[in-house]
Amino acid sequence: MGLSRRDFIKACAAAAAFAAAGVTTARPEWAEAAEDGITWGKAPCRYCGVGCSVLVGVKGGRIVSTKGDPAGPVNKGLNCIKGYFLSKALYGKDRLTTPLIRKGNRMVEASWDEALDLIAAQYKKAIAEHGPDSVALYGSGQWTIQEGYVASKLMKGGIGTNNLEPNARLCMASAVVAFMNTFGSDEPMGCYDDLDLGDTYVLWGANMAEAHPVLFSRLIDNKLKHPKVKLIDIATRRTRTTKMADEFIAIKPHGDLAALNAIIHVILRDKLYDEAFVAKHVSFKRGKENAPYGLKDKEAFNETPADVKNLTFEEYKALMKPYTPQWAQKVSGIPAAKIEELARVYGDKSRKVNSLWTMGVNQHSRGVWVNNLIYNLHLLTGKICKPGENPLSLTGQPSACGTAREVGTFAHRLPADMVVMNEAHRKKAAGIWGIPAEKIPAKVGLHTVEMFRAIDRGELKCVWIQCTNPFQSLPNLNRVRKAAQSRKAFIVVSDIYPTRSTELADVVLPSASWVEKEGVFGNTERRTQQWFKMVNAPGKAREDVWQLIEFAKRMGHGALFPYPEKGMHRAIFEEYRKFTLGTGKDLAPYGVYAKVRGLRWPVKANGTETRWRYTEADDEHVAKGEGIKFYKAPNNKVSVWFRPYEPPAEVPDRNYPFWFCTGRLLEHWHTGTMTGRVPELRRAVSQATVELHPEDAKRLGIRNRDQVRITSRRGSIVLTAEIGGRGTPERGSVFTTFFDEKKLVNEICIDAFDPLSKEPDFKKCAVKVQKA
Amino acid sequence: MTSRWWLPRRAVQTGTILLLASPAAGFTFFSGNLASAELAGVRLSDPLACLQAVIGSGVLVPSFLFGALLVTAFYFVLGGRSFCAWVCPVGFLTELAEKFSRRTRRGGRRLPLATGRYVLFVVLATVAATGVPLFEVLSPIGIMGRAVAFASLVPLLVPAAILLVEIFAAPRVWCRSLCPLGAFYALIARFSPLKVGFHRERCTGCGDCVAACPVPEVLDPLWQSDACRVRAGACTRCLACLDSCPERALSVGFRFKKEPLSLTDEGRPIEKSAP
Amino acid sequence: MTKERDDSGISRRRFLKEGALAPFALALAAAGGGTVYLRPGEAHGFVLRPPGAIVARRFLAACVRCGKCAQACPYHSIRLQDRGVGIGTPYIAARHTPCYLCPDLPCVKACPSGALDQKTTEVEKVRMGTAQIVDREGCLSIRGLRCEVCYRQCPLIDQAITLEPRHNPRTGEHTIMEPVVHREKCVGCGVCENACVLPKPVIVVRETVEVQRDSYDF
Ligand code: SF4
Ligand code: SF4
Ligand code: SF4
Ligand code: SF4
Ligand code: SF4
Ligand code: SF4
Repeated sequence: MGLSRRDFIKACAAAAAFAAAGVTTARPEWAEAAEDGITWGKAPCRYCGVGCSVLVGVKGGRIVSTKGDPAGPVNKGLNCIKGYFLSKALYGKDRLTTPLIRKGNRMVEASWDEALDLIAAQYKKAIAEHGPDSVALYGSGQWTIQEGYVASKLMKGGIGTNNLEPNARLCMASAVVAFMNTFGSDEPMGCYDDLDLGDTYVLWGANMAEAHPVLFSRLIDNKLKHPKVKLIDIATRRTRTTKMADEFIAIKPHGDLAALNAIIHVILRDKLYDEAFVAKHVSFKRGKENAPYGLKDKEAFNETPADVKNLTFEEYKALMKPYTPQWAQKVSGIPAAKIEELARVYGDKSRKVNSLWTMGVNQHSRGVWVNNLIYNLHLLTGKICKPGENPLSLTGQPSACGTAREVGTFAHRLPADMVVMNEAHRKKAAGIWGIPAEKIPAKVGLHTVEMFRAIDRGELKCVWIQCTNPFQSLPNLNRVRKAAQSRKAFIVVSDIYPTRSTELADVVLPSASWVEKEGVFGNTERRTQQWFKMVNAPGKAREDVWQLIEFAKRMGHGALFPYPEKGMHRAIFEEYRKFTLGTGKDLAPYGVYAKVRGLRWPVKANGTETRWRYTEADDEHVAKGEGIKFYKAPNNKVSVWFRPYEPPAEVPDRNYPFWFCTGRLLEHWHTGTMTGRVPELRRAVSQATVELHPEDAKRLGIRNRDQVRITSRRGSIVLTAEIGGRGTPERGSVFTTFFDEKKLVNEICIDAFDPLSKEPDFKKCAVKVQKA
Repeated sequence: MTSRWWLPRRAVQTGTILLLASPAAGFTFFSGNLASAELAGVRLSDPLACLQAVIGSGVLVPSFLFGALLVTAFYFVLGGRSFCAWVCPVGFLTELAEKFSRRTRRGGRRLPLATGRYVLFVVLATVAATGVPLFEVLSPIGIMGRAVAFASLVPLLVPAAILLVEIFAAPRVWCRSLCPLGAFYALIARFSPLKVGFHRERCTGCGDCVAACPVPEVLDPLWQSDACRVRAGACTRCLACLDSCPERALSVGFRFKKEPLSLTDEGRPIEKSAP
Repeated sequence: MTKERDDSGISRRRFLKEGALAPFALALAAAGGGTVYLRPGEAHGFVLRPPGAIVARRFLAACVRCGKCAQACPYHSIRLQDRGVGIGTPYIAARHTPCYLCPDLPCVKACPSGALDQKTTEVEKVRMGTAQIVDREGCLSIRGLRCEVCYRQCPLIDQAITLEPRHNPRTGEHTIMEPVVHREKCVGCGVCENACVLPKPVIVVRETVEVQRDSYDF
């Protein structure tokens, strides 16, 4: 099956439109048109991974307006309500405008030199006394590609430690590991066009209606246009997505691991798989099992090639035998008949089936496994790499893909799918960076949870946090906050507003945000989007790249960053681009991105984008006649993993009888540092609430808007009850959101994580619920 | 030593205002205001407010009526217009204003007492005809109560206007001649057993009581006839006359019979007063 | 009569002083009263009353303006009018604080006079008014954006307001999710009006729409 003619014409027309939207002369580099004294420039939305394009109206050095960019292929001029109020995110009254240094309990204003000298001195001291692994940098999926790249080069190529992590460890790490161990290359084969072209969409624990607003609107439009389109929502909570879905299938927390195995069982049992596809493209594997949950410090667990056992198809089938729908019914709560039905949905050759998922699957103590199992469904049935028929892992941050994953700001990663453990990869990176290969340490750095535990253990002496708010967003928050409060490490926080993290910092640095600097983001569908600086940051605020390079100079690594002051962002990007060329992740020259509303990599030689990877119909890396070719996987064969069922880290018991789950809502984004400063959004949703099932509430004598105390083994908070509102968790579970800086709900969360991806499970722990 | 009724009276007046303010301060034993309230779980209502509400809306809530009857009975026993002298914040305010204006020797004409009952009639006729509870709309009592309880300050212009008129044009005109609630309580006060008694033998005719009384007309019959108690409903039972009388010729008590007062219960030798 | 009252002894000077001041004082007093009673009330003639309020005309008479309902409201949603014929009567400024529909309706329980009908016990049956989208061209959701804040905040979500999705012809590939208020379910609590993200809310609680029945059943 190939790309249809209609699809191609569509793609070509779009490409032409991008090219036509070129920049005119005599205006600032970023300006598109001037009217009423307002100059408009293009940028991707600052918030979520959907990656809507917006036009930013600037007048008198201030953003006066933003609007959805009609030329933006993702959103065609639309936005969600966060994007509508984008400009206000920068203009909160309490923007940080000057560096601050802690003097006892007070934060004292300082100059950049004082602050950076102090940071450098602290880092040098720590490195001298305890080695380079005693310092760390904690960044973000909201970093621009340039910021992430400079950070990676500085830490891995300069300071010589892999203690570099992005907050994307908390949201995308499981997806990354599964992409790597299944396809040999990170990021999806499909793209948003699949939302227009498919006819069956299975949502695995994703509340797209609220977390991916504009995309959801696109998905529903497909449903409105084509009556045969079916949306199946499998989740532990009824949401706004459920409301618009054709079918809701309630599942017990952690039940996905069982249900998916049972669906595969039925597909194998009833021979619903695509024999030819499997024979050509798939190899079967079994990994390490009886994995821990990361609850103990320094618990090491790795799935090395030596741990992996190759299976034959027959062996695999035999292993899958016990996972019957009847068994899964008990574990997942999904009736056996429903599981059979789902298997037939996936096996139906006449339907184009897509799976969509985000945090329900990724923030999971067996997140990689669940990702693997979803891929198994698609690989066994051959429903992959075809327009309108793909698994699509949705992301939450604007550049979780572009920065955290593509640049590789994880403790084990190097740019473009490379890893520090691999000597050839280190060599390639060192070559581009112009350093000796030995400089890049082969030892994987501290992953996020361990990084903050290492502060508590006193092993990490310095950590610099940029563009994220870990002291609100980490699980088992009490432990890490206490560690920071007792000043066990020297903590630097770069941000644009005071946050729950800046309050614990020794040095607070004011950052420039979004269009106050130049940058590039990469969204869920591999779309790389660039924007120029349009306004100045307030006061002394400086962008994170500048902060890092100034710090590098003081650390004696200035030579690593020989970029001209003018065109710095271009130079950094072009250097980074070298990593991508010829790898199947090829990026276009910077100048191209300046003109278009983003391009989906791999960008072809002729400058056009790739919508579907691994298929001859669209991917240049697959020769004509090869059909589908997973050219990044070993022997061009993708892996179908046998992943057994293993129980969750903590289950409700007599003392803590409820499941506790956290998540996002449409009006606010992440820890609310930006959306919390938008008065309209605060008016819309002013505080975090706890959702209960009406029957549970009745039993506990809790009525709507009563105060409810939630207690876990790790912490306790009081929240306002919301019953029968936007979301209703299944019986026996409660749900809350984590945006409210006054309610540190993550104090409740367990710091269990997936042993492979080290991504914490924010979706499941046991709590007690009482009327307060 | 004369009596000092003003002390408990001021205490009750002040207490009323504190009571009105108590919900805002977070206390829960009282809520509402003088139109309707709940005190320690007992629902109390202003009978005139109740009357207007029932006539105007045709809605009758038994507990509401019961609360109104309770209040009516209470003030009937305790002298009717005793509400004015002891509880009503407007009475309190205008009383203070009069003290102030007397000191600065401003005057003006006192209007007749009888007009109040016509106002009462107009109020009831209006509510019956149009459904507008005229007195609840205009009532400075309600306005003051809400100002205390809710800091609703703009409407205080109404009591302020009354004060202006009283100070510069017609002393105590609101309570004496206009207030329909005062008039209503005056009607029941007439038949109330709690009355001010007059011991003619002690009276020296000094006129101090007349000067002290907010409604001095009610004392007139004591001289013009041989009445031995103040019978007019307009008497507010403020007992200022008792406090003012150097001869203790006035007293207060429950009087059920019509015969002259016993003169022997005072424990002081009786002297014939000078004419 | 024993003592001459002294009001006959007004001096000429004092009389003049009083005579000039009295009309002035009366005028000032009239101005004060006028300020309270003649200021314009609600422009569209609809006042959002607390739950259970009886019909407007009778409510004005039945309410004795005691403020007990306001004191009973845990969210301070109820305020008292300070002008006009409705002075002292309770209302809800939804844009400031809407009614959050306490399950036990403490405001209704507090009302002594029946102005708030004691028979109101189920919040779903409350009819304070009906929300209406007063500016369809302004509503962000109807313009195709993903707003729907009013919908998600409505305590009777999916009953009082539903989203009616339809194709967005302007982009060709998105959905307009239009919030539609259902008069037979909307209680008029004003939560939507409070939450609307536009500077002037485009969803506003208005007078309850009288359902005009006919025999069509669609
Ligand atoms: S937050 Fe996401 S959906 Fe909303 S406008 Fe921004 S990118 Fe688009
Ligand atoms: S006459 Fe009216 S205003 Fe005056 S004290 Fe009596 S009740 Fe109050
Ligand atoms: S129902 Fe509750 S929130 Fe609404 S007005 Fe009554 S007391 Fe206030
Ligand atoms: S409690 Fe009843 S009578 Fe009192 S103000 Fe409220 S509605 Fe009016
Ligand atoms: S007023 Fe608005 S929020 Fe309240 S029920 Fe009606 S539609 Fe819902
Ligand atoms: S909150 Fe306002 S703008 Fe948004 S959908 Fe509702 S009415 Fe429209």
